Amino acid sequence: MRNLLNFLSKYNNLLVFILLQIIAIYLLSTANDYHNTQMVKGIRAMTIGIEKKVSNARTYFHLHEISRIMAAENSSLRTRLERLSGETEKLFFSVTDTVYNQQYTFTHAEVINNSVNRQKNFLTIDRGRQQGISPDMAVIAGDNIVGIIVGCSDNYSVAMSLLNLDFRVSARLKSTGYFGSMTWEGSDPSHAVLSEIPQHVTFGIGDTVETTGYSTIFPEGIIIGTVSGFEKTGGDFYRIGVSLSTDFRRLRHVTVVGNLRKEEQLELENQYQ
Amino acid sequence: MINRVIRLGFIFILLILLQVLFFNNIQFSGYVNPYVYIMFILLLPVEMPAWLLLILSFFTGLVMDLFSGTPGMHASASLVAGFIRPYVLRITSPRDGYEPGANPSMLVYGLKWFLIYASLIIFVHHLVLFYLEVFRFADFFRTLLRVILSFLFSLSFIVLLEYIRKGK
Repeated sequence: MRNLLNFLSKYNNLLVFILLQIIAIYLLSTANDYHNTQMVKGIRAMTIGIEKKVSNARTYFHLHEISRIMAAENSSLRTRLERLSGETEKLFFSVTDTVYNQQYTFTHAEVINNSVNRQKNFLTIDRGRQQGISPDMAVIAGDNIVGIIVGCSDNYSVAMSLLNLDFRVSARLKSTGYFGSMTWEGSDPSHAVLSEIPQHVTFGIGDTVETTGYSTIFPEGIIIGTVSGFEKTGGDFYRIGVSLSTDFRRLRHVTVVGNLRKEEQLELENQYQ
Repeated sequence: MINRVIRLGFIFILLILLQVLFFNNIQFSGYVNPYVYIMFILLLPVEMPAWLLLILSFFTGLVMDLFSGTPGMHASASLVAGFIRPYVLRITSPRDGYEPGANPSMLVYGLKWFLIYASLIIFVHHLVLFYLEVFRFADFFRTLLRVILSFLFSLSFIVLLEYIRKGK
């Protein structure tokens, strides 16, 4: 007993260090499971008040830019509406079922927390379960890709940004239709890499890269960026550098896209796999 | 004594706010993320008992974690910084030792001393922090480059803040 006490008094600082380090590592490893965002969610709930204030102040300074984007979006929607109303008159049909043939739902949301300088970036938006958001929905800004929802609370959701080492999306070259896998390399928030494009495909710098719609998460044709360079790698594939069209540093208004036919597609696919 | 605690508390809040509102938003490529909040651990009194130092470093890291949504990462790195501080103080000790009740600041022991003292602690802190963040050894040298660049920036900002304190 005496020896034990001696030992404790001699090494008490080391023991405190080890004890606290174990707590830290425990926290780190439980929160490291990215799809289990429970931990992050709990902590976000505490700091969300401050973040909201900061984010409000920032929105104020960007109002000019935002109103410009809104106006552009308004006009494009109005054009589409005009075109549609013309068609209905011609074809003589009236539809009261609002979800008839609808595949995607769109929900507007505001980004209230975001980062671009880590290796695993996430963003928080101010819509959650009560507004119909659920994990595995896509997040886009205008026509550009942003990320995937990974966790929701009642009024907030956390999305994994494209700027995350664990993010993967199926993407294709718009000009030729060849598709590959899109990842981020962790260094530059305006560049990503498209791999698995075979070497016989021809394309040029500046070609558009967009999503394929194979994954049930992203709709087809969401723009990712443009080709900025490429190199040949072993195994007959290109490694294509993509300059991202989304500016993650000033992300404010995003749209969450849900796929109404996701279950149907997955169920069918599972039957044959 | 009470005065000192209040002053340290004030410095703590100021550094955390500076880090969260300003430095966390800095973006020079993906390679430079300065972390100046570690300055709080540098400024704690020399005679502070080691266990209290450890708990304060852990707490500082935890508060940073709350704001950056990375539970445990900053806490672990700051804890290591707090753990090595007594050893670093011993290595860098001036010829006639530290005066009783001294603060390890540039005002008292000069720029050269402060640079050595701060570099050692900041470098170890950044080393632990960035490798914990990546959590794999795949891009070993790229991470090392990030550590070194961020370390240089953090050190410069901290020395700058010391000069501002000195000017006051």
